[in-house]
Amino acid sequence: MSSRVNHQDVVERLLETKAVDFAAVGKAVAELGPSLAVADEPWEGFCGTMRTFFHCYIINVFGEGNTVENVGELRGATRELQS
Amino acid sequence: MSELAILGVERPVALPDSPICPLDPHCDAREAPWDQQDLARRLCHALDVAQQAVEQLATTGFTDSDEPGNNVRPEKVISETAFLLFAASTADREEVRIRVEKVARLLIPHARSERMVLGICLEPALALDFAQAHICLGRLGYPDDTFDTLLRRSVASQARSGHERVPHRRLEQEWLARAWRDPRSHQPKGISRAALQSVLGRPMDLLNGHRDDVYAFTHALMYVADWNLKPRALPRPRAAILADAEAALARCLDEQDYDLAAEVLLAWPLTGQSWSAAAAFGFRVLARVEDKAGFLPAPSTRLQRLNSLEGAERSAYLLATAYHTIYVMGLLCAAALQPARTPPAQVPTGEARCGNAAAIVPFLNQPGPSASQSADVRQTREPSVQQGHWWDEFQRLNAIERDAIAGLLLNVALRRKTVRRDFGELRDLLAAAHAAGLADSPAASQAAELLERLALLGRRLAPDRFSRTRNLI
Repeated sequence: MSSRVNHQDVVERLLETKAVDFAAVGKAVAELGPSLAVADEPWEGFCGTMRTFFHCYIINVFGEGNTVENVGELRGATRELQS
Repeated sequence: MSELAILGVERPVALPDSPICPLDPHCDAREAPWDQQDLARRLCHALDVAQQAVEQLATTGFTDSDEPGNNVRPEKVISETAFLLFAASTADREEVRIRVEKVARLLIPHARSERMVLGICLEPALALDFAQAHICLGRLGYPDDTFDTLLRRSVASQARSGHERVPHRRLEQEWLARAWRDPRSHQPKGISRAALQSVLGRPMDLLNGHRDDVYAFTHALMYVADWNLKPRALPRPRAAILADAEAALARCLDEQDYDLAAEVLLAWPLTGQSWSAAAAFGFRVLARVEDKAGFLPAPSTRLQRLNSLEGAERSAYLLATAYHTIYVMGLLCAAALQPARTPPAQVPTGEARCGNAAAIVPFLNQPGPSASQSADVRQTREPSVQQGHWWDEFQRLNAIERDAIAGLLLNVALRRKTVRRDFGELRDLLAAAHAAGLADSPAASQAAELLERLALLGRRLAPDRFSRTRNLI
């Protein structure tokens, strides 16, 4: 067992090297995301092959997601549209 | 610019506030169905919005450069409008029929546009997807033989199956194919293999599952049920499917995900005649929210953004972010208007056990996902300030009605504890549920399995390592 590679340790070691510039990755995704989101081609087109270099997940944190607006205010705001 | 009739629900029905605990669960008032005229009014509202959606979004859709998540492609609006019309056509109401006909005539040029024809021609594996609105319109009595000829050629091509699909999407294809080939003459036998492979055919992950799982559940059911016209056999007993649906409903109500909540509620009228106490309560919550907001809202409609826009831009934003949830409420009311499918006006209490709600409510002491996350709210132990719309409606129930939906409360609490990794409270909650006779549910069973796995994990790991692992999960 002692020779088994610990996945989390590997990840932490890699993060400590700062070899991946997450700010740069985020900037690229922010620039390309809107156009890719509406493109007919799938996301694989980003890399030009079927290989995936980065997995991008939507992390839904309990209690921090969007919920509906105040329903009374919604009624008031949408009423304006009809006048 | 045409006027956006987003406030078509202008006559909120005074939902029946429960009297002070009439303890006879079998009195006539409790078995009375929801007012059919009110259901028709809500459906007509959805159809009026559908007219606006076709007029404003069916040609170019909606593009939001600030929030691309709001983008709506025209094909989506066209297909969903056609499905709403198909569903509405099963409601035997004159005011509905008039609106269906009006919107259908508006939709025809979009459903059979050059863009759709090109899609069918160029991408045969997606032919039925491009033809969905055409097929629904054909089923409503608006055929197009020329369009059918091209569609037949496309679905007969070698590449017709060259697109891999998940089971609920395969069910959609099967449903479209049946609807296109005159469903009156073809009654499929047995259970669809895709239904067996879908989440309908096996227990859903009710504690850690994703929103997409619930989406797959609701859509698979819609296609299997064929809106009660030519339903195929369910892959599991109705009771097992509805038990999963109740847990999914609890999650959706707690997260104010009313789009998905309304879809989940379809499980009752699309599989049989009875509505459980939790389902009847869920319908009341949605109806109340719809009456208060003027439409059933989605989180995507943001007031700050709405108020920053003007004119046609504002109208398009509101419609693009709101139409889908409004449609789903229309679908639900259309199903509820079918014979013997109407929800009860009051929460059924025949299976209520006195004191069950009180046994679970203390475990709702953490804020729900829809509650404010301010520090003062986080620290309070008073449930009433920490919940969403469903909690407001819960307060309107009398004691026996609250007891009748204790299973729903349990489902809410189980998911909250699991998502927060509060396993100690999860154990206590299960013990309380067991003592109250509520633990015989899929979510409770899955929670017990989770605790068993965690106990094994705890024995395997040293205490400090277990503590570290807990932080990671």
